[in-house]
Amino acid sequence: MPSERALRLAGAVIATVGIGVATYITIADSGGGAPTCLAGGHGCATVANSSYSHIAGVNVAVFGIVGYVLLLAAAAIPGDPGRFGGLLMALVGFGFSAYLTYLELFVINAICQWCVASAVLMTLLLLVNAARALTYTGAELTAPPSTSVDQL
Amino acid sequence: MASRKEQKEQLRAERMAREAEEQAKERRRRLIQYGSAAGFLAICVVVVLIIVSQSGGGSSAGSGSKDAAAIEQQLKGIPQHGTVLGDPKAKVTVVEFGDLQCPVCQAFSVQTAPGLISDVVRKGTANYEFRQYVIIGPDSTVAAKAALAASEQDRYWNYIELFYRNQGTENSGYVTDSFLESIAKGAGVPDIAKWNKDRESSKWDATLSKVQKETTALGINATPTIMVDGPGGSKVVGSGVLPLSQIESAIKSVQ
Repeated sequence: MPSERALRLAGAVIATVGIGVATYITIADSGGGAPTCLAGGHGCATVANSSYSHIAGVNVAVFGIVGYVLLLAAAAIPGDPGRFGGLLMALVGFGFSAYLTYLELFVINAICQWCVASAVLMTLLLLVNAARALTYTGAELTAPPSTSVDQL
Repeated sequence: MASRKEQKEQLRAERMAREAEEQAKERRRRLIQYGSAAGFLAICVVVVLIIVSQSGGGSSAGSGSKDAAAIEQQLKGIPQHGTVLGDPKAKVTVVEFGDLQCPVCQAFSVQTAPGLISDVVRKGTANYEFRQYVIIGPDSTVAAKAALAASEQDRYWNYIELFYRNQGTENSGYVTDSFLESIAKGAGVPDIAKWNKDRESSKWDATLSKVQKETTALGINATPTIMVDGPGGSKVVGSGVLPLSQIESAIKSVQ
């Protein structure tokens, strides 16, 4: 298992990439536009023009930015608060990404590569944060004893 | 008999074993407590997000011809020629690339189009053409052909505006023959039998294909997108629920 430091670093890097992806979708959508699908086609436009692209008038990608920022913060916070804050946000992000992917596949009938990219990043973040929480919860408790035999 | 040092070592080992056991217990307790809390909270948040998303996902299809009288009033006295609303000789044409299933187009139809029709089209400053840019799904194509068939009887604009007033959730299956026919009747299409025959015509495939090629060439990938075309050239104004002032400025720039 990688060290907690490595997991936190991986979480921070993935969350930063996620912020970039979600920000691009938000900027492309502002003013009614749509992200450009890399391989052409109208999948991104179809998804962006769908009513499911907004929640209470706010673009879903904005929620994505907030989620990734919180995951970045969780990666920076040491100890159990960071571990379980990260796990909570990753579970929310993964759950909602799964729902959005279901909508793309079975309701909107179109796939947006940027949304898929975000769903993959959320899955990676769940793996990283779950590994961190499961492996290192209470790690401070098992710190090497500072007392020596002679102090007994 | 163990020496004093050995006794110390033994005591230390026993203490460390006890501590390790307690630490392991505490770790398990934290893992279960915090993990359960995180999982429960995550489920709650996701469920709330899904519920809010669903409730904002558009209303279900209406009863067919709601607001027919309001649309009739909105368009009354304005000439219609095929897909064009207003004076066919107007110097400027405002082109909307839209999809009948698109909720943002519906918002444009309700928020901006009424002002555009009353302040610009009715006054003859520009005419208004709606091009069927189908991007939402197969039902968009069916709906587009139904609207184009209404253009054969110069009720295209009544059909579009009434469709938007009765729009349902995209790709939910509400675009049925009976729904389309109720819109046609509400839009005042005089000969429903002819309209039913016309909407099956294969010529609309070429019409829709032409718009697809045009949008690709113009770099348009969203609906509704507004373009103005006049003596001063063509200009893609933008996408989404544009304000009327932005469209009026664009009209002036190409007059």
